[in-house]
Amino acid sequence: MQLPAAQVAVLEAANADDATSVDAIAEATDLPPETVTGAVFELEDEGLVAVTERVDETITLTDEGAEYAAGDLPEIRLYEAALASGADDEPVSMGQVIGAAELDGNQVDIALSNYARKGYGQIDSGEITADPDADPDADAEANALSVLADDGDGDGESDSDGELAADEFSTEIRDQLERRGLLELAETTVREITLTDDGVTELMAGLETAETVGQVTPELLTGGEWEDVEFAEYNVEADAEQFEGGRVHILRQTADRVKDVLVGMGFQEMEGPHVDADFWINDSLFMPQDHPARTHWDRFALERPTHIDELPAELVERVERAHREGVGEDGEGYHSPWDEDFARALALRGHTTSLSTRYLSGREIGEIEPPARFFSVEKVYRNDTLDPTHLLEFFQIEGWVMAEDLSVRDLMGTFEEFYAQFGIEDIQFKPHYNPYTEPSFELFGTHPTTGELVEIGNSGIFREEMLEPLGVECDVMAWGLALERLLMLMYGFEDIRDIHGTLCDLELLRETEVTY
Amino acid sequence: MPTVDIDPDELRELTGHEEKSDEELQEDLFGLGLEFEGRTEDGAFELEFAPDRLDRLSVEGVARSMRYQYGDARGVHVPATNSAEWTIRVDESVPDERPYVTGAVIRDVDLDEESLDSLIQLQEKLHATMGRKRAKGAIGIHDLTMLRGSPATEGNPTIEYVGIDPDGDRFVPLDSDAELTPAEVLEEHDTGRTYADLVSEYERYPAIYDDIGLFSFPPVINGRRTEVSTDSRDLFVEMTGTDQWTIDKMLNIVCYALAARGATLEDVTVEYSDHELVRPDLSTKTKTVPHDRIETILGIDLDPDEVIDLAERSGLDAAKEEGDNDGELVYEFTVPPYRVDVLHPLDIIDDLGRAYGFNELEPKYPDIGTVGGRHERSRLEDATRTQLVGLGFEDLLNFHMINEAENYDRLDLDPDADVYGAGEPATIKEPYSEDFTMLRTWAMPSLLMVLERNTHRAYPQHLAEIGFTAAVDETENIGIDERRHVGAVLANHDAGYEDAKARLQALARRFDVELETPPTEHPTFISGRTAAVVMDDEVVGVIGEVHPKILVEHDLEVPVAAFEFDLAALQ
Repeated sequence: MQLPAAQVAVLEAANADDATSVDAIAEATDLPPETVTGAVFELEDEGLVAVTERVDETITLTDEGAEYAAGDLPEIRLYEAALASGADDEPVSMGQVIGAAELDGNQVDIALSNYARKGYGQIDSGEITADPDADPDADAEANALSVLADDGDGDGESDSDGELAADEFSTEIRDQLERRGLLELAETTVREITLTDDGVTELMAGLETAETVGQVTPELLTGGEWEDVEFAEYNVEADAEQFEGGRVHILRQTADRVKDVLVGMGFQEMEGPHVDADFWINDSLFMPQDHPARTHWDRFALERPTHIDELPAELVERVERAHREGVGEDGEGYHSPWDEDFARALALRGHTTSLSTRYLSGREIGEIEPPARFFSVEKVYRNDTLDPTHLLEFFQIEGWVMAEDLSVRDLMGTFEEFYAQFGIEDIQFKPHYNPYTEPSFELFGTHPTTGELVEIGNSGIFREEMLEPLGVECDVMAWGLALERLLMLMYGFEDIRDIHGTLCDLELLRETEVTY
Repeated sequence: MPTVDIDPDELRELTGHEEKSDEELQEDLFGLGLEFEGRTEDGAFELEFAPDRLDRLSVEGVARSMRYQYGDARGVHVPATNSAEWTIRVDESVPDERPYVTGAVIRDVDLDEESLDSLIQLQEKLHATMGRKRAKGAIGIHDLTMLRGSPATEGNPTIEYVGIDPDGDRFVPLDSDAELTPAEVLEEHDTGRTYADLVSEYERYPAIYDDIGLFSFPPVINGRRTEVSTDSRDLFVEMTGTDQWTIDKMLNIVCYALAARGATLEDVTVEYSDHELVRPDLSTKTKTVPHDRIETILGIDLDPDEVIDLAERSGLDAAKEEGDNDGELVYEFTVPPYRVDVLHPLDIIDDLGRAYGFNELEPKYPDIGTVGGRHERSRLEDATRTQLVGLGFEDLLNFHMINEAENYDRLDLDPDADVYGAGEPATIKEPYSEDFTMLRTWAMPSLLMVLERNTHRAYPQHLAEIGFTAAVDETENIGIDERRHVGAVLANHDAGYEDAKARLQALARRFDVELETPPTEHPTFISGRTAAVVMDDEVVGVIGEVHPKILVEHDLEVPVAAFEFDLAALQ
């Protein structure tokens, strides 16, 4: 019988009476284990060997687990320090005991959260007591850790890395230690083979190694030899080396998706400066100058340069009049100060509504006649607290529709269409307040997977006090939404900082599932 | 968003709806736009409110709105006031920065712990909102029986609003036993320190006197003598500020809240040097709104009777009238004096819509045709990104804010140097942290930071970003030249100049621009392995191998070849 070299070697290394593991054969034949596995499956198909599979569970100490096995568990250190401080008599200040136990960083939390659980004593109002009857030597978790650590040179049932079979101590303790991140459980599949009767027969009859060729070469092709050779078989099931290649950033991809949807709904894209005069960011939106959002707490004012060179004088005058006196016969202005110097001050835009006001003023692409729809998906800047759901810079989806007469029903219909494209249905509208829209609504949608009601945008019909100075004589409805919010809803990300910015994790960007 | 705490038992009592369960109340409150956020330790509802209806900052105001919602009350209600006995005289010495004052006397109040807490909360919430943290308006409430007014005019008792020297007098402030001067209050008293910034620049400090002496140091703190307790029966409310309208409205809200608890309001005369006011000003105002506008904004047909019904259920009065145009139906709506948010007829329409129930409206897609499209710059960005990805780059998205050390120092770059990427920074006045003090002048620093953060991830790391950059440019209207740069880095054990050049060439070829790379010097790159990026005869960028000094600075153990150029050059 003719067989490829690897299969011949495996057959010769296998035994009819005792099962031999793939690893043992690999060692004996000096072949890579994946080659042996491949050959074993081929031989099984030929009926020459029988294969049995078994799943082994192994336990490995984590770095943290190894550290505690060498020293003591933090809660035991805390208990011993508490005893030394006399906490078995009367409560002692926690800070003092923690200091004495030389715990630091997250070890403090670990010690405190396990201390009472394991009956070492009580912690109450910053004071600690110790139970004199507790016995650290009987601590099942500590004992299990030391069994694991010693095992390398111990009973021979595990290798030198501290691995051993999973059944050495109670599963309850094992699970507890796993929850604490002190050990890791892993499953490995062990395959063992024995020769079948047919295998023995073939082996006895003698085996020949077939001649095989590794690589298709130009010589092989031009010389015609390819007709006579057998090609070496690959393990086509094995994983290849990881390859990354290029890929569009996930947030950018989401932005593009939003742009596609909006263009499809008849919206035209706007663009404009990131640093802009407060006039365009706030004043022309009928935001009073003493509005809390315009204080330094929320706003990134520029230190240099400080002011815009030029604002359109006539427009500034009209906007100031709207702030001071209101618009229309029955209009009233704000009872707030108004100062052109503040209007000229530069800041990073806190919303892209600055683009909307620039476009509506007719100064970007000329007068815009109704009907019209415009949008942008651009960055905005807020001096907010940086946390898993808030960035200092994020993308805002901004959109507006201009027509002779628009009603809140048109506004609701537009959002239903838009959000339905992202699988967000059953939009709810909560009446809300914005200085520059009336009526105004917060939009709530149902999370596609969790079913939670989440805020997904803010919207309204622009006030006449905003539109009249800009020279707009019809209705305009508008809305804004954070792109990151939509992304987190769509992908279920928990920390936006992993995605956007220089703290990003390349692996996460590489591994994120493609959506469309 | 601001929150207000409301005791559900009090709400049941004040609305007269003892039968309502907590859950029903929460639902009704959501209908008013007051979202239930949770409960306080005492079991009160914590409600989030939008900062327009400041008349709902206390349980009394919320109960009033609910009675309208339930249909238990209709139309405008204005409480009666008795004529003035007391006068506030405004002295010439009053600080120019805070010239306005208003006030009212409230009699026969019946304060228990709950109603006193509610009054204190209302005062704090008004300070936080309309009062702009007391800068625009500050409230002082005093026990009237502790005041002695000198009868200055026609036998009326009078208190005086004056300006005094910071150390000009002494009084015992609330929560203190010591007699302090106003200046000492700002230094030694907790509340004084909190609000010191409001007055510390003033030449003269605001102060209010009665016949006995100084009893209030607005906007900072009251004196202990006139402190209000559950035993107080008659109150004197004074407010000072930078705008008369604002403090008058704050006063109206407080007066309505106390009147809702059965107190009697009494006018106060405010005597300025050149004119006299009688306060509280509980006059109503009117807004005229065409029927047609109500229908177009709400998108529904309404009968006039329905409009009037919706108005009365919103606490407004409405009367049909004939408009300026022939046969046009308009309404004159009367707005009660506690409303601070009605600036325009549109605000009335919003009230009507809320009374109707916005969620009752059927959404419809607007019947207008428009043509959509992308901006040219955004199309160029996308096209370039597609090419970069095809060339094997992982696309990045970095922050535009950075600091000087990252942008210049760690790349060995001098802001004034005449090399690509340098430039004067646009800086931020009050940055969030030291990490974000300016806008980046080029993308390379961000790319190197990402490499630095990801040394544990698999190589090769071929990263690119089409990103915003900015530098001061006085020829621009905003004083800043905002650009998009194409930045790319190739990090791998064998990355070299040629790898970067090959990809740059491919880009140039695809966009049909002529690329030359004459040698140049740049501190970020290795001398002799650096070139200017010249596209169609213009220097638009730089390409080279990053200098080992900079690699080591960024903890990198592999070579990095890189290029960066202006996106506009591909146009």
